[in-house]
Amino acid sequence: MLHRLIRLPSAWIAFGLLLFIIVLGIVGPAIAPYDPLDGGAKLLASPSLAHPLGTDYLGRDTMSRLLAGAPVSVLSALEVSGIALLVGAIPGLLSVYLGRAFEWLTLRIVDTLIALPFLVFAIAMTALLGNGISQAMLSVGILLAPMFYRVSRAAALAVSSSQYVEAAILGGSSTVWVLRRHIWPKVIAPIGIALANATGAGLVIVASLTFLGIGVQPPAPTWGGMLASDLGYLDYQPYAPVFPILVIMITVWALNLLADVLRDASGESGRIMLKKRALVKSKKRRATTVRRALQGGQPT
Amino acid sequence: MTVEADVLGARQVRGRPIAAKAVGGLRVRRIALGILRPIATFLPVFLIGTFITFLLGALTGLSPAYVQLGEAATPSAVARLNHQWGLDKPFLVRYWEWFSALLHGSLGNSWFDGVPVSELIGQRILISLSVAALALVLGVVFGTLFGTISALKSTSVIDRTITGFLSLISVMPPFTVGILLVAVFAVGLNVLPSAGYIPLSQGFGPWFSHIILPAIALSFEPVAALARQLRAGLVSAYNENYVLGSIVHGLSPRRIFFVHVLRNGAGPALALLGLILPNLLGGAVVTETVFGLAGYGVFASSSALHGDVPAVQGVLVVSIVVVVGFNLVVNVVLNRLVPAAQRGI
Repeated sequence: MLHRLIRLPSAWIAFGLLLFIIVLGIVGPAIAPYDPLDGGAKLLASPSLAHPLGTDYLGRDTMSRLLAGAPVSVLSALEVSGIALLVGAIPGLLSVYLGRAFEWLTLRIVDTLIALPFLVFAIAMTALLGNGISQAMLSVGILLAPMFYRVSRAAALAVSSSQYVEAAILGGSSTVWVLRRHIWPKVIAPIGIALANATGAGLVIVASLTFLGIGVQPPAPTWGGMLASDLGYLDYQPYAPVFPILVIMITVWALNLLADVLRDASGESGRIMLKKRALVKSKKRRATTVRRALQGGQPT
Repeated sequence: MTVEADVLGARQVRGRPIAAKAVGGLRVRRIALGILRPIATFLPVFLIGTFITFLLGALTGLSPAYVQLGEAATPSAVARLNHQWGLDKPFLVRYWEWFSALLHGSLGNSWFDGVPVSELIGQRILISLSVAALALVLGVVFGTLFGTISALKSTSVIDRTITGFLSLISVMPPFTVGILLVAVFAVGLNVLPSAGYIPLSQGFGPWFSHIILPAIALSFEPVAALARQLRAGLVSAYNENYVLGSIVHGLSPRRIFFVHVLRNGAGPALALLGLILPNLLGGAVVTETVFGLAGYGVFASSSALHGDVPAVQGVLVVSIVVVVGFNLVVNVVLNRLVPAAQRGI
């Protein structure tokens, strides 16, 4: 898959952009030219050489605030998708192996979580649980978990009943070999796609929450919080919101591009997944018939 | 040989009544399934959703005492208020009381000012619903338009332009669109109001001018999602053999599009509608803040920040009910419109 990935030019664009954004998220506060909380300069100044993106209503440098806000916005989006992966993938894998009751219950919970108005629940959970950044990330992570539940469940279903895995085990392969050689390549692409999508969604939601002043309160610099303060001074600086919006859009776009690239490189698409599910059923049936025949019972 | 003949004979004798019975049974089963399947799908959603809502309120450990008494709360006063609100009862008892009141249409009283939550939401939900409905209309109209055009002209310059535009607007969160719209139309051009709401009773023009910008901001996501899904559905429907058959049969392109392609290709896009409404309701929270609308979204976030648990629970329950109801309607429409959906596929 990797060799197909590096041949796609859009993969280079996506990886380059994302690497740049993540580096910004780590070193952003350190390279900010001014203190993001110190409003020493002229209020609402237009872009100039000293302040390339201008200053805000307290005279704080916009570029410094964008850079200082990068960790909260970018790294929290990554953490959110990490939490979602943990919370979603484990029940998703277990749902295939733990029996019908568990399967039914988790499927219904996932249906419910998908049907709920996401942002309203994220706001309610974050604010009621204590209104901090860790509460925000936990609740958004839980609400995004169904994505990973579905992906990991589909992967586990496809693998648990496939004949090549059975053949490898019968042929005497070790568990590590089967996992590394046969299961990992099947699972990595859909999980990578879901990770890219979840990080994009997480970034937008964290930006929306910080815009509302939930999770991170002003004056701490965040991209969403900057938009909230820009909104009050549109009469003086109608162009000011463009900078945070552009940063958010480019990041989300790069993540979408990454998901598309992964999908292309792995040959996964919605249609194939659908067909796969039907295939899984017939394969399961065949596998049980074969097993019974091997055990010496009557073939049904 | 004899067995085969026997079977054949039996089939011929019983053929008619069995077939008739089967058709009648099928129809009964289809109607029953048409009613029961959506209920079987959405009843658990409602039950689990409301349970999660209640659990969330119970987990926070907030109580009206802290909302009303603040820092001056003494343990005895807290205990008295908790007893007054019934918060000293066991969890399941409280859940049952809350749930049965819910089924009777009561959402409890706000901890903040003691006003019934249903009244508070009732005052605000119309604002949010009119914005969401207009956004949905815009989303369906423009989503259908863009999706159909780019499917009909697929792989042309028009198709690529539309697809590029869609991928641009799909990465813009609703509140950023809202801020840009305010900057352009309210501040820059000064043609539309930037904030506030005027009820429909005071005239269509003022009402419409106040909700059109928030609705446009909310509609970007549904437009992009619907158009993409519709384009994919229509393009794959055009590749089916029955379209080739009807072309060979000499049917007009218009008839092929409306009767054969649209009805079969629109299914996934329609099913997507059911998932769009929760996003619209969620997006309403942020867009209402941008446009200064006193809708239910602003109510939700401000009550959550106050720690007013019954108000937040009320908002969540109302949104669950709206989403479930809307999904039921989408299901019925889907069943009527797409022939294959009726067979329960």
